[in-house]
Amino acid sequence: MPPAPPGLRVCGLDYHYDRQRVLHQVAFQLRPGSLTALVGPNGAGKSTLLHLLQGQLQPSAGAVELDGAPVRRCRRRIALMPQKGEIDWRFPITVAEFAGLGRLAASRAGCCDVDGALQRVGLEAMKSKRLDQLSGGQQQRALLARTLVQPADVLLLDEPCAAIDPPSRNLLLGLMRQLSDGGFTLLVSSHDWGPALNAYDRVLVLNQALRADGTPQQVRQALDDVTMGNHCCG
Amino acid sequence: MSWWIAPLLLALLTGALCPVSGALLIVQGRVMQANLIAHAVLPGLALAVAFGLPPSVGGSLSGLLGALVAERLLVPGQNTTNHGAVMNTVLAGFMGLGVLLIPLLGIRVDLEATLFGDLLLVRSVDLLLAGGGLLLQGLFFTACYRPLVFLGVDPTGAAASGLPLRALKLALAGITAFVIVSSMAAVGVVLVIGLMCAPALFGLAGATSLRQAVLKASAAGMALGVGGFLLALLLNLPPGPLIGVLCVGLVMVRRG
Repeated sequence: MPPAPPGLRVCGLDYHYDRQRVLHQVAFQLRPGSLTALVGPNGAGKSTLLHLLQGQLQPSAGAVELDGAPVRRCRRRIALMPQKGEIDWRFPITVAEFAGLGRLAASRAGCCDVDGALQRVGLEAMKSKRLDQLSGGQQQRALLARTLVQPADVLLLDEPCAAIDPPSRNLLLGLMRQLSDGGFTLLVSSHDWGPALNAYDRVLVLNQALRADGTPQQVRQALDDVTMGNHCCG
Repeated sequence: MSWWIAPLLLALLTGALCPVSGALLIVQGRVMQANLIAHAVLPGLALAVAFGLPPSVGGSLSGLLGALVAERLLVPGQNTTNHGAVMNTVLAGFMGLGVLLIPLLGIRVDLEATLFGDLLLVRSVDLLLAGGGLLLQGLFFTACYRPLVFLGVDPTGAAASGLPLRALKLALAGITAFVIVSSMAAVGVVLVIGLMCAPALFGLAGATSLRQAVLKASAAGMALGVGGFLLALLLNLPPGPLIGVLCVGLVMVRRG
């Protein structure tokens, strides 16, 4: 039997919640070191898909594999950066302590150095500051640092560029590119349908099912004929 | 031993004890649960008195049961207003049950002292309870510090990380119940909420860690306890309500 291709493989993924279909027959593969955007309108199932890929949710049908192994056996290799709104930014905690929580998320061995993660995202000078003293973009980078502390090679980022100014967004996109160049596999959910999409190697368009898949140019071209493109613009 | 030493010690112990629970509950967004537990200790207290058991045990179990009943009745995904409505209803139900049990069981419970406390009637068992509560809470806080921080700052991430959150929340509710019962002699089950929240709010302001917030809150709580006790002596008024009033003053100072 030939060895399983490396990377994250999603086959025929279905997910139902309260008898409602959230995802239907989603299938794709992410090669190691790639930077992929996952775009779609609100309620398209982007966050649900990320939670399924990380193994937090169980699919109704289909499978998720990492390097040929079921994802539930290698959850530690996949880190999920949650949406900014899920964090209590007024909690009394410093940036360094917050990033260090990634060790708890990954549980036990193999975790990366907190200072190294903060340096990587350019927050080492802010490590003693309280979280609520950071700007929106810096908070996203603190969240990314926490994700990087986990010993993962696949990073799932849920709307990291939401509600931040364009310079901060560009900084984050640059960081993501550095990470993918360093061998990390990144899947990034986004509402952004503008020129920022060109920063990605590949774009997946999701609206319950996968509607388009290709380079940013290919996807834009393909969606010219599909009305769903209008929804994504918001 | 001078008569004032025991009440002063209890004021200090209660002042140190309550804000720790308060700070933990505030950062978890569970203050309403403390209020519920405080009122839900009454039926257990009445039953314990009736059957000759330690009131602290009955009260703690009853408070914890109240929290569990409310948790069971909450509908996931509903907004916090609905959750508050459910908790307040359970609070009233348990309180009502406690008041009903007193005549039904034919027991004598000093309701005024239970609700508002009386530092001047302190017994050595009250000091032991408060000391035990402080020790238990300190152990819990030290052992579960990082999971408690994770749960407070990112509940979704904490759940995803596989931490035993259900057990952690249950332990927090149990310890809160014990803290409330331990503080009953000093400030009663109604006023204890003030001593849990006001110093905790003061401690949380500007703190760079939960540990620092809790230490600051405990110091403020001790100052309130002692201040209330001394004022009570000076003005010849009950100390429990005075501590409650001082708590409002502290929140006003914090607000600036």
